[in-house]
Amino acid sequence: MSVFISPEENKGEAPRGSIFWWRLAVLLALVALFASILLTGVSVWFLGAVALAGAGGAAYTFNFHFPAALIRLFAMARTAAKYGERLAGHKAALLDQVSRRAMLFSAMAAAPRVRSVSWQLGDQDRLADFIDDVENLDFAKLRVQLPLLATATGLAFAVAATLFVAPMALVVVLPILLGVAACARWLLPSLAQDWHFARLRRRAAGRRLGTALGAVVPLQAEHAWPETLTTSFAALSRADARLLLSRRRMAFADALVGLLGPIASLAVLGSAWLNGQRGDALLAAAFVAFAWLALGEIAQGASRILHARVKEGAASKALKAWTAGTSPDDAPARSRPFHLSRLEIIALRRCAPNGRPLGGTVDLILEAGRPTVLSGPSGCGKTSLLKQVAGWLEADGGGTLIGDGIELAASSRRKLAYLGLHDAAVLSDSVRENLFAPDAADAERWAALNVVELGERVRLAGGLDGWITQDTLSLGEAHRLNLARALLSPLPMILLDEPGEHLDGEQARRIAERLIARLQDRILLVSSHKASDAWGAAQELKFDGLALQRAE
Amino acid sequence: MSPAPKRIFSDSQMASGMLTLARSLAVGGLRGTLLLQILRTVLRLVFAGTLAIFAGVMIEAEAVSVPVVVVGLATLLLAVLVGLFADRQQAAAEFSVAQGLRESAREKLAAMPARTVQALPAGALIAGLQRYPEALSALVVGHRAAALMLGIVPVLVVCAIVAVSWQAALALLFATPVMIAFFILVGGTIHARAQHQERAFGQLATQFDDRIRTLPTILSAHGVDHERRKLAVRMAAYADSTMNMLKVAFLNAGVIDFFSSLSIAILAVFLGLGHLKLVDIPGFSGMQLWQSLFILMLAPEFFAPFRRYAEQYHAKAEGNAAALAMDGFLAGPATLDQTMPLAFDRFEGDLRLPPKGIVAIVGESGAGKSTLLRRLAGIETPAGARRAQPDPAFVKGVDWISTDTPIQAGTLADALSWNRAEHTPAKVLSAAERVLLLDDTLLPGGLDARIRAGGENLSGGQRLRLGVARALISDRPIFADEPTAKLDVANAARVRDALADCACERLVVVATHDPELKALAVLVIDLDRRRSSQREVAV
Repeated sequence: MSVFISPEENKGEAPRGSIFWWRLAVLLALVALFASILLTGVSVWFLGAVALAGAGGAAYTFNFHFPAALIRLFAMARTAAKYGERLAGHKAALLDQVSRRAMLFSAMAAAPRVRSVSWQLGDQDRLADFIDDVENLDFAKLRVQLPLLATATGLAFAVAATLFVAPMALVVVLPILLGVAACARWLLPSLAQDWHFARLRRRAAGRRLGTALGAVVPLQAEHAWPETLTTSFAALSRADARLLLSRRRMAFADALVGLLGPIASLAVLGSAWLNGQRGDALLAAAFVAFAWLALGEIAQGASRILHARVKEGAASKALKAWTAGTSPDDAPARSRPFHLSRLEIIALRRCAPNGRPLGGTVDLILEAGRPTVLSGPSGCGKTSLLKQVAGWLEADGGGTLIGDGIELAASSRRKLAYLGLHDAAVLSDSVRENLFAPDAADAERWAALNVVELGERVRLAGGLDGWITQDTLSLGEAHRLNLARALLSPLPMILLDEPGEHLDGEQARRIAERLIARLQDRILLVSSHKASDAWGAAQELKFDGLALQRAE
Repeated sequence: MSPAPKRIFSDSQMASGMLTLARSLAVGGLRGTLLLQILRTVLRLVFAGTLAIFAGVMIEAEAVSVPVVVVGLATLLLAVLVGLFADRQQAAAEFSVAQGLRESAREKLAAMPARTVQALPAGALIAGLQRYPEALSALVVGHRAAALMLGIVPVLVVCAIVAVSWQAALALLFATPVMIAFFILVGGTIHARAQHQERAFGQLATQFDDRIRTLPTILSAHGVDHERRKLAVRMAAYADSTMNMLKVAFLNAGVIDFFSSLSIAILAVFLGLGHLKLVDIPGFSGMQLWQSLFILMLAPEFFAPFRRYAEQYHAKAEGNAAALAMDGFLAGPATLDQTMPLAFDRFEGDLRLPPKGIVAIVGESGAGKSTLLRRLAGIETPAGARRAQPDPAFVKGVDWISTDTPIQAGTLADALSWNRAEHTPAKVLSAAERVLLLDDTLLPGGLDARIRAGGENLSGGQRLRLGVARALISDRPIFADEPTAKLDVANAARVRDALADCACERLVVVATHDPELKALAVLVIDLDRRRSSQREVAV
């Protein structure tokens, strides 16, 4: 059963708290297992013994109190241990879940993929996949290791007992056991393949469907909508068909496992009989035979363990891919924000969001109290420039950035800049927590909310402690909330991507004026796809389209 | 994970149409599954009987009956085989139900007006379509079969035991109402605890998901440390509350285990006393060993369906939530009735589009330009109005240019020629050249440039130009929503030229802010000035 070796990554992961509960769960699982086996075995032995005693006239000398008490004990122990095993196992798994997820959150936060292109886990469907993976890992021990350990122990016990009572039966039992093991060995890779295939298909179908949903107007205009839907749904069906194949294979494995208990049971009794054991001597064989039967019941549905193992493997691979490339120095340590009044950008290569160079370089001086606006049509690289300045892009573009005479690497710029993303999200949390300013006073928070004209809205929605979600705020409100975050940020560099987006012109102008006034002491760089007068006195840097640039 | 459908669609008041549909789809498959499962149970009971006889007679009478062994082995093999078919049948039935549900979802989506589709939460819909049909089919097939077996298997077991001792069968039957009373008691507590947990901790259930979703925002605001600490505390609090609920929820399975274990213990002791002839209990005394063994082996079978049913409690919850969520998606959001400016209806009534030339719809943002464009193209009909007779020129559909133009993954050539029956390599090449897609530093590779699904790697301007190039390949009327808005000056001019060329042969309707494009129009519909100005059609 070497295929069942627990994955390496689980080693040393369990925090102190959960180890006790895991041990308890294992202990209780074994107690429940043996209580089950013994309950059946001892009951049968007892019935056989009393039947022989009754027939042989030894009824009055037979001490039935002891076995009857044992049977009651096993019955109670089985019930209690099963309940306890479930509780302890879940307790341990939940403890692990909390610490594993906290670690995963940190690892994800440090992963370069968060900063680079648009955040894929912002999409509900990708997030659902991700969370499925996390859950499959969270409960892997409970669904794979624990039942596997219990079943293997039970098998070992039954084999040992058989060896002792009716060794001949092993001639029948061992081949079946080997068959089951071979079947598992054969099944595991093909289940993994099916699962992998189905995941890929589903994801591809989801992407197709997403594309189609986004383009519904043109598709309906072109009369291509039904056909596009059919294609996407067909891909989903293919994924399902593959999983159906998996289930068929699993049914086969379950059928094979289903043979084990009854056949072993017959074999033990039969070989004891053939061995010449009769009467009382057969009772031990009956005990072992019915123990096999009980074990067979426990092992039913073993394919679920295999399937959980396959999901665990796929999930751990998928999650590793997310956090790949994390450099250790990216630990989210936060140094005190220091003052910065001037940032010189020298020969920074312009690039597309995916890091590909766009051609041309940027030289720019940013100064506190002198806001700068980047304008130009969408797609000309404004957002990328903001991200470069903020130190968010891996491909840095080779430029030099000098802050107050000191060259600043990307990692130090990251610590100095507040980057207001144009698609910033709303956390499911209170307004207070959504402002990301744990050290600010409530008065400051209200002031910031008033500046972005959200004060009244927040008061009506339950004040700073009111719970908000992405859905409770409109796009414009979410956008203004993000501007309030910028206002409360203590960092010396405030970079805002499209602060006027989703706002009407007049409101955008009012808020821009207040932002400029309040961020006098910071370096303020904003982007805007339309040249607007909202930023008044700001120095404007026009980003031209590439065609124009070539024309120059 | 089911992506928390309840919270997205808590306002869905509909009776679950999807559940009804799923049930009707499941009828045939469910019947087959159930029959096979019953057959498997019967065979298992027969095998239990033969094993009891085999063991009992062997120990008590010191004899082995070969026919019993043969019958036993045969029924065992048959039971396993039938079990295999039952499992496969269940899998196939669930698969076909899921297919049927998807098919119905597809039909509903296909018939949905564009604006209703746009109002759907796309990500949640996709995640749902990937998962809900499966969850729902498990509810109406697997879970339903388990529920029906609750009524069948105990009866079968009792019948089998009656053949040996009707008193023992009666004893088992008496245990059932007691167990059900326990179930109801525990079920009530579980429900109360679950509601309490939802009230007190519901907000914390998806905090991890939420923090992953909002990770870039957290990062940009330097909140990672703070959020991680908060997240750990909240996840721990939620885990504690979950544990409190599980303590009660596991009682459900505990009750079944208790009765199942107890029945074995009590039966074994009573039967034992009967064998010893110490007491004379009718139905438990004077039996042969194989009869006692038979009763003892069947007693757990009596409780097995309850256990299997209890194991599927989450299938029920997930299936019901899935049905509710799918109803929410496919009923579509409440009618989005957009109030249109006054001028709008007036235009629509007597608007006659010329067979060719540019028609420009102009007006302030929010004046209804896009809506009018959709209505003219026949994609949308005004609420309450019957579908207007489609313009005969549009029966083949129209070409639609906008930033949300559909873009297939593959090469640029694939994206251009998709759904263009009339495309030829030459046409594709010239169309791409016309809007400078071949010579774009942002999209190196010419016609072989890699394009991701939905044009993920394209800018809004590139998507627009791709739309224009696609329109150039076909010969249908063109409808364009702000075709020059996201373009720089040179590209905007190029697009205007291309549209003007097309307008010599076919109708080009544009919704636009661009005065230069407006200047090219033969008909201008000004939604602000409430009158259209006709110009001479230059032929």
